[in-house]
Amino acid sequence: MQTHIISLLVEDHPGVLTRMSGMFTQRGINITSLTVSPCEKEGLSRMTVAIKGSESELEMVRKQLSNLIEVVKVVDLKGNEAIIRDLCLLKVHAKDPEARSEVMQLAESYGAKILDAALDSVTLELTEEAKKIDRFVDLMRHFGVKQLFRTGVTAIGISAGAGGGVEK
Amino acid sequence: MAKQKLSGAEIVVEELKTEGAEVAFGIPGGALLDLYDVLYKEEAIRHILMRHEQCAAHAADGYARVSGKAGVCIATSGPGATNLVTGLANANMDSSPVVALTGQVPTSVIGTNAFQEASTFTITMPITKHNFLVKRTEDLPKTIHNAFYIANTGRKGVVLVDLPTDILAGVAEVDLHPKETFAGYKPNIRPNQVQIKRAVEVLANAERPLILAGGGVISADAAAELRHLADFLCAPVVTTLMGKGAIPENHPFCLGMAGMHGQLYANRAINECDALLALGTRFSDRTTGWQLDQFAPDATLIHVDIDTAEINKNMQVDIPIVGDVKLALSGILKLLEKKREKKGGSEWEKRIKKMHETCDSCVEDISMERASVSDILIKEISRILDDDAIVTTEVGQCQMFAAHYYMTRKPRAFISSGGLGTMGFGFPAAIGAKVAAPDKKVVDIAGDGSFLMTCQDLATCVENDIQVVVCILDNRYLGMVRQWQELFYEKKYAQTGLGVTPDFVKLAEAFGCYGERVEKPEELKDALNNAFESGKPAVLDMIVGKEDKVLPMIPPGGGITGMIGTERCKHI
Repeated sequence: MQTHIISLLVEDHPGVLTRMSGMFTQRGINITSLTVSPCEKEGLSRMTVAIKGSESELEMVRKQLSNLIEVVKVVDLKGNEAIIRDLCLLKVHAKDPEARSEVMQLAESYGAKILDAALDSVTLELTEEAKKIDRFVDLMRHFGVKQLFRTGVTAIGISAGAGGGVEK
Repeated sequence: MAKQKLSGAEIVVEELKTEGAEVAFGIPGGALLDLYDVLYKEEAIRHILMRHEQCAAHAADGYARVSGKAGVCIATSGPGATNLVTGLANANMDSSPVVALTGQVPTSVIGTNAFQEASTFTITMPITKHNFLVKRTEDLPKTIHNAFYIANTGRKGVVLVDLPTDILAGVAEVDLHPKETFAGYKPNIRPNQVQIKRAVEVLANAERPLILAGGGVISADAAAELRHLADFLCAPVVTTLMGKGAIPENHPFCLGMAGMHGQLYANRAINECDALLALGTRFSDRTTGWQLDQFAPDATLIHVDIDTAEINKNMQVDIPIVGDVKLALSGILKLLEKKREKKGGSEWEKRIKKMHETCDSCVEDISMERASVSDILIKEISRILDDDAIVTTEVGQCQMFAAHYYMTRKPRAFISSGGLGTMGFGFPAAIGAKVAAPDKKVVDIAGDGSFLMTCQDLATCVENDIQVVVCILDNRYLGMVRQWQELFYEKKYAQTGLGVTPDFVKLAEAFGCYGERVEKPEELKDALNNAFESGKPAVLDMIVGKEDKVLPMIPPGGGITGMIGTERCKHI
């Protein structure tokens, strides 16, 4: 089971998200992450959907998504042709001064930003590939993670039609 | 055209007319008073008042399948809309173009559990091709236009438009008849020429070519092209349930319906062919059986379908062709005719003709000892009705008896619930069929279980003078389930006996219809004549054997070569 990232350009109408996610529900496929945001064109939104599944499931999903009337474009983003990012906000226990400095050092080495420091905790932000965030979060668990928020992946193509892909 | 100031309801009706809607099947309600107020004055649209919304959807579906135009059904908010659901799901599964209009509570109270409120938009999302909840009166022209455009293009289907009362009552200045559509909706119509060439290469060199025709052939109006290709290739044609009528079933190359309850030889041909051209079919399990290694194991598989999502869904194919079946067939024919002469007389052709003749003579020969009464009755109906007559079916044994023994001679003349398998479909679909083709005889082949689910619409037939004839195979059982219990569940007939069902003759008479009981097959001819002569909608209660079985069949889990109950095929 491989993770696939599908980028969709959709009409910005109420109900589009339900229709899109309903398509996955009907076919018994679990969405691992989903982001929705405005895009460069007015009236359209971009959705980035990550799913776990086989190649044939991916093919089915791609075709069924294309069949949705409000979906303008479907792009299957392969790892080597896209920049994939995930944003993570986490609050780590850091009451002990030694732990505190270690957390800050590790944060720096991962390129994470320190957003807030309180007496008993540090709040960090890291924007990276999902796997790197996973590693960072695992490290932070040693100190104790109080809260963790992740946006889920968003991705942009780096091939010829960057962020574009195939028109339906 | 200059902008016009119109109410929402007026816009809806104007756009319905522009889209060519001549008939609507529906039931009014509180949320639709404004719409019906406009329809009241409107002469260009005939409104047929149904007695249940499910029947309105089935009637619109039947109308669409017979006429080739989108059928229109109307229901009010809440229960009206939820009652439509089964009918819409049925039409959508069989790719039948239907536009449904539903009333909705005012936009200001949507989401408050207002009286007769249901979230029609979300309920119908997975069972429609597309749906709309209209939020502004000025959006109506483009919404109604797109509803018809989407329903009737590409892979056809159901589009629902949910209309809140304030949107219908509201007034807006609008341009009528817009052409604007969705950027993301571009049905694949034109087949890829390279794929056509590859297909022609395979077909031209095949020794044992076979064509599998699905419902797509009928909805693309490609029956003439199909026949031409079959004749040119001397290739036999088998059909799915939905494809019945794509080729006349008495054509020497037609082996009839394949699949679970198909003809023995149709299934055998699929197993033996070396090239299979599948047209407008989705390879449903009812067609392929469950052992896919028995389905055309030696064949190069060519699949033509208008829906990309059907390619490689149920069957892995060698040559996919995405596009309109009619265009694909003409493309194939054009190249094929350039490439080689028509050559007849192959071993395969001889074998097919022999198969066809044996199957035919076997069907002809069914005598009282060999067959059930149901078989004989359906064959009798087939003999009595003319080539133009339309047969609709309910679901279950009656449907499979009809599919197996009714000889369909024209496209759009056999109307059945293929995908969803909806009991109660046949009768309201017959109403729609008769409205679409008033000059044709329309017969619903029903079971007593199915007919009871929607029989209240006999009132609609009487009131609107819609003369359909319902022929009930009356065995006082839910017959198909009973058959499975007999064959696979040690004859434990759990909840399939219907006990004392109504006297269908009296039921018909109570509604003002003609009713007659047929105790023996030899009485059927006169009874059918009486029914047609009566000038009324009619119900024939045909008494059949309680344990009649539809055979042969592929048992659950079996493959296309593993039919059981073949003893009745005398040529085995």
